[in-house]
Formats: sequence, structure tokens, C-alpha cells
Amino acid sequence: MTPLANKNAALTQRLSEAEATIEALISGQIDAVVDTRTKGPVLLTKAQDALRASEERYRQIVETANEGIWTIDANSITTFMNGRMASMLGYTQAEVIGLPLSSIVSKAQQPKAASNIESGRAGRRSESALIRKDGTELWVSVSSTPRLNAAGEYAGALAMITDRTEHREAEDALRRSEEQYRQIVETTTDGIITVDRRGQVVFVNKRLAEMLGYEPREMIGKPSMSFMTLTGQAVAKAAFKRRENGVADSSDSTFLHRDGTEVTVHISGTPVVDSKGNHTGSMAVVRDVTESRRLQSQLMVSDRMASVGTLAAGVAHEINNPLAAVMANLDYIADVVGKLGGNAPGVMSPAMRETWIRDEIKAPLNDAREAAERVRFIVRDLKMFSRSPSEELKGPVNVKDVMESSLRMAWNEVRHRARLVKNYGTVPDVDANEARLGQVFLNLIVNAAQAIPEGNADTNEIRVTTRLDSGRVVIEVTDTGPGIHPDIINRVFDAFFTTKEVGGGTGLGLAICHRIVTDIGGELTVRSEVGAGTVFRVSLPEAVIEAVTVEPAVIPQGGRRGRILIVDDEDMIIRILTRILGKEHDVVATVDARKALALCAAGEKFDLILCDLMMPLMTGMELHSEISLLSPEQAKAMIFVTGGAFTEKTRSFLSDIPKEHIEKPFDAANLRAIVQRYLR
Amino acid sequence: MKTIKAVHLRLYVAGHAPNSVLAIVNAKAFCEAHYLPGYKLEIVDLMDHPLRALEDGIVVTPTLVRLMPKPSRKVIGTLTDQRQVVLALGAG
Repeated sequence: MTPLANKNAALTQRLSEAEATIEALISGQIDAVVDTRTKGPVLLTKAQDALRASEERYRQIVETANEGIWTIDANSITTFMNGRMASMLGYTQAEVIGLPLSSIVSKAQQPKAASNIESGRAGRRSESALIRKDGTELWVSVSSTPRLNAAGEYAGALAMITDRTEHREAEDALRRSEEQYRQIVETTTDGIITVDRRGQVVFVNKRLAEMLGYEPREMIGKPSMSFMTLTGQAVAKAAFKRRENGVADSSDSTFLHRDGTEVTVHISGTPVVDSKGNHTGSMAVVRDVTESRRLQSQLMVSDRMASVGTLAAGVAHEINNPLAAVMANLDYIADVVGKLGGNAPGVMSPAMRETWIRDEIKAPLNDAREAAERVRFIVRDLKMFSRSPSEELKGPVNVKDVMESSLRMAWNEVRHRARLVKNYGTVPDVDANEARLGQVFLNLIVNAAQAIPEGNADTNEIRVTTRLDSGRVVIEVTDTGPGIHPDIINRVFDAFFTTKEVGGGTGLGLAICHRIVTDIGGELTVRSEVGAGTVFRVSLPEAVIEAVTVEPAVIPQGGRRGRILIVDDEDMIIRILTRILGKEHDVVATVDARKALALCAAGEKFDLILCDLMMPLMTGMELHSEISLLSPEQAKAMIFVTGGAFTEKTRSFLSDIPKEHIEKPFDAANLRAIVQRYLR
Repeated sequence: MKTIKAVHLRLYVAGHAPNSVLAIVNAKAFCEAHYLPGYKLEIVDLMDHPLRALEDGIVVTPTLVRLMPKPSRKVIGTLTDQRQVVLALGAG
């Protein structure tokens, strides 16, 4: 071979080796390349894998990011968008490459975008509107970073994009809901008040301010206590303490109106805590219940009147019986005395005369008096039940007396149906209102009676018991009626729930009873067994204040003789008063108050003036004020005799008179004692 | 008498890189198939002897060099395609 041919062959050889190397490289059969500078092999696979892995990592991050990623070049032409960003805008990733910034950022936002990019501050965040492929707007928050080339010149930017639409919608929703709350707070018929930890008013709505006669701004910053009555302040103090312990509850209270009147309210309070759970004050919804309380008490009275009305027939019967006895006995005496004629008792032996007087005069007189006494009780009971709400004062009440009154009222309902068993244990007085407590007892007794069918009075029983049970006064009314089915026993205290036929009951009775009993701190419960009967149980707290016992009238021994003026439009009353007082005193009487006034004006002096209150021509009150003008001393000597049926005016008048008044009917001994007491 | 031609092969590899391992396996199989009863297969790991590459003018791994019989020949790659190897090196 020639040297040239040799050289040529070598070259061909090298060339084919190079081709083979390239081919092997391309087909991935090469592991390492020898680096001529380091004079060592460089493992290709390792470097390739690492590069590929790192690329993959970045690609995954970019493509799975929740944020949109967008790069533009120096001319603001899109060079890349990740899938998230493209889909946000409604494009495919391929479609967006080459789109200018101006067709992606909304026109209004373009100047801002430009300045943001040029300011070259990395990580700058701003809100911007982008334009979707379909032309709609997309609110995003943009954080852009400029990209510089090797020479440090601006080469484009990378932006991270977060979709704000949801945030914005949530913010809008929040704003709307806040607006809604504000409207609710301002238009609600309930008052709303927020106080801080010291009880200073932080917020009141219009309604609460209105309730108390203020403007909201006049109340904010002031101590909440300054808008409450003393009772209200005590209630609030206790409530604030409970709020501090995280307790939400409701209570009745009284606020003070700007004009000084009381506003009865029902307050539902909640503690207010900050985001860390620290107690910062309380919030309360305040409902003005002045009107509803008034209606409620009216309802109670009308229910009471209704029961008295229902029982009227029975009560009339109750009055007629003793009244018949009174009349018959008086007739009998009149007859006996009329037949006396010549057979004057004087001709009898002293022993005979005594027996005669005892049997023919004293016994019928006693019977008549006893019967009259019963009528008096019944009328007093009626008066008790028909008291108006303004007279309903709370005080120590004797449970047994009230129960007796109620039993008398309901006797006609009871007696045809059951035997009445009374089992009175000794109990202290309770803090209640007589009329209302009577209403409760009456309801329970009438219910018990009506549960038992008429006819078998001796096989059925209604039992009333009173006893002291661990500091509480317990009153039970038990019947042997059919009992209350378990299905409905929970509803018996619901308003308008009744098992009686239409017209038989309003369904309010037990609901009202329940209200009355809970109002005075008691409990009304029921226990029943079908076929065996029902027990209603009232449990009441003992009265805190001792009952003031009325001192018994002491019949005076040889009292002073006085000069007494009697003024009453009822002739009958004048006659009996004159009869009782005439022997011990000098009595002047008149049926006309104007005549009495004339006597005083003429200078007549009286030690006492017994005066009726309700008279047609001139009332006792008018006479009192006229006499006061003439002689205040003489006016002080007036004692009023009343038959009840008060008006608000007469009631407050009587409470201003220093001397006690005498109630009709009166008994002779008591009347004498009172008169004698004031004469001394 | 038939002269037995001496066959001397050298395979340059890079450690246990996959292509290198494959090349070793293929080279052994090729020799067993074509050069029996006698041949010499030398394996040089450039990771252990990096300088040998430059001395022998090796650029990439795996590379199989036929040192004997002359003229020397190179085959680059995993030696998976036996036909090409036969073409390059000639069979026995």
C-alpha cells in the first residue's frame, strides 16, 4: 500500500469510528465520555438523569401549582404559561404563547402593570383584572419578578397569579351579610345592647334607645347601670358576673326611661369574647314587656273573673242557704216575741225564763248570726277573687285561709262528685298574692272536681293537703278521677290545651296557674296514674317577711263617752250604728253628707265622724276635703266605713287617711273597740 | 494444519453503568460464539484506570477494541447487534 492509500484508509477508519460513536450516542448506548481536560471519564447517564430529574421536578412544581405562572419577554410577549394560568384564562397552554400582555391584562390595568414591571421590584403584589379568552374579567392578585439577562438588562418578567374572584365574592358576601345584620339590628323590634367588661355601653341599637327615650349616641360610653332602676342594677350586676363565667341566660329586669318611668323588660344576655377567648363584655337582646305584662295580668284577672262567673250559680246557692237560715231564724224570733203578749217572761220562774230565753231567742239568734257569718265569708271570698290587678300586692299569705276561700267558692262543684278531705299540716305563710294564689287553688279544685263524674260522691275523694317539705310549703290537690294519659300529661300546662268540650274551659286555667306559681318562685307539677287519679302539687317558698297579725279587738271596760257624727246614705246602717253606739256615746246621724257639712260649718264639734265612702249626693272624699277646709282638726277625726268595690282613687285616698277604716260588714264588738280606741 | 489465529480483545467500560454491563455480557457471549477454542478478552474499567483511556485513544464507553489480529478495530456501543459486531470484527 502506498503511504497515501494508508493515510486514506486510516482516515476512513477514524471517520467510521466517529460515525459509530455518534450513532451509539444517539441511540443511548454510551455510559461515559472521556473529558480531555480532566483526563477522566464523565459518566453521561448520571449527568443526564440528574438534569432530567431536576427538570421534571420543576415542571411538576410549575404545572401542579395552584397559582398561575406566566413569563413574558422584554417586549411583553408571552413566552410561557402553566396549565393553571391558561385554564384560568380559558386558553390552552399552546394558544397563549406569543400573546402580547395587552391582550391579557385589562385595558384599565395596563398602565399599572407596565409600571409594576418597570419598577423592577421583585415579589411586588398587586390586584389586577385580566381578560379571559371569552372576554370576561378575572380578578387576580399578581406578584411579578423581573428577569435580567447576563448583561443585567431587563429581559422580561415572571409573574405569579392568584385567582381573587372567590376572595372577592366572599368579601362581597361578607359585606352583604354585614349589611344584612346591620339592618336586622336596626330594624328589629327588640333592643340590642353591648357593654364592655366594666358595664359601659359600647353599642345600642335605635330601638333600645327609643325604648328609654334617648338617641343611641347619648347612651354610648355611659355606664349601663345609669339606665336601670335599682332592681335592674342588681339584676345586671348578677348577670355580668354570670357572663364573666361564660353563662348566657335570660332574666326579667326593669330599665329607667328618660322621663323617670319604669320599663319592664325581658333580657337575654350572652358573653362576648374576643378571638383569643378572653371575656370582653356582654351583649343582650332587650324586649320591652311592659305592655305584654299588663295584658298578661289582665288575662289572669279575666280568667279569674271567668271562673268566678262560672261558679256564680254555685256561689248564689252558697249564699242562699245561710241567708234562708238567717231569715227563717229572725222570723221565728219575731213570731215568738209577737206571741209573748200577756205571757211575759216575767211571770215565769227564773229557771223557766232562762230556758225559754235560751231556746226561743238566743239559739235562733245564734243560728242566724252563724249563717250570716257564712254569707260574710262568701262575699269576702268573692271580693278577693274580683280584685283588680292594681290591688294585687304581694305579701305574706296564709295558705290555709286561701284554700278555705277557694273551697267555699268551688263547693258546689265538689259536693256532687266527691267527698272533700282536708289535711292541713302547719305551714308558714308564703310570699304571694291572695287573689292569684286563690285563683290557682280554685282552678286545681274545680279541675279535680270536673275530672270526676257526678253521682258517686261517696266513692270518690278530693283531698287537699298542706305540709312543709324541706323548707318549701307544699300544697297538693288529689282526685280519684280517671287520671291523665301519659301521652298528654306533658301538655296540661300548655296554653289553650284542654280536654273539656267546647265551652267547658278556655284551656288557659292551668297555663295561667303555672305562670302565677313560677312568678312567685314556686313550682306547679302534676303526677297522674290512669285509673287511679291525679295529684297537682304546688310548692312555694316560705315568706321572708313575718305576717303582721292584726291585734284582736279588746272590748273596752267603761270607755269614754264621746260625741259621734254618723254619715251614711243607707238608713239601715245608720239605725244599726246608732243602736250599737247610742248607749255609750252621743250620736248624731244623717243620710246626707251636705247636712253633715252644714253641722260642722255651724261650729258643731265631734270627737269622731263615722262616714260612708260611696254616697250619691256627696261622697265621703268630698266631705273630707270640705271639712279639711273648715277645720283640719275635725277632718282628722273622720273614720271611713266602706262596703268595698274600690276604685283606684278611693284606694289611694284611704291609704292617705291616718285612721284605719272599718269594712262592712262589721261586728258590733269590733266596731265598739275601734271607736273606743280613737276616743282615748 | 490449521493455524490457530490469536484473538485479543479489550473492552473499555465505565464502572457498573448499564450500557457497560450490557457490553460486557454481550462481548463474552460473542467471543464464546466465534473465537473458541482460544481468545483473550480484557476488560478495562476507566473509572478505576482513567489514564488508560487517553493512552489508548478512547473517547466514550463502552468501546470494544480488537488488538489482535491486526489491523486493530473499534466497536462502540452495547454490542447488542451481533451482525454489526461480526461485520466490524470479522468472525473467527
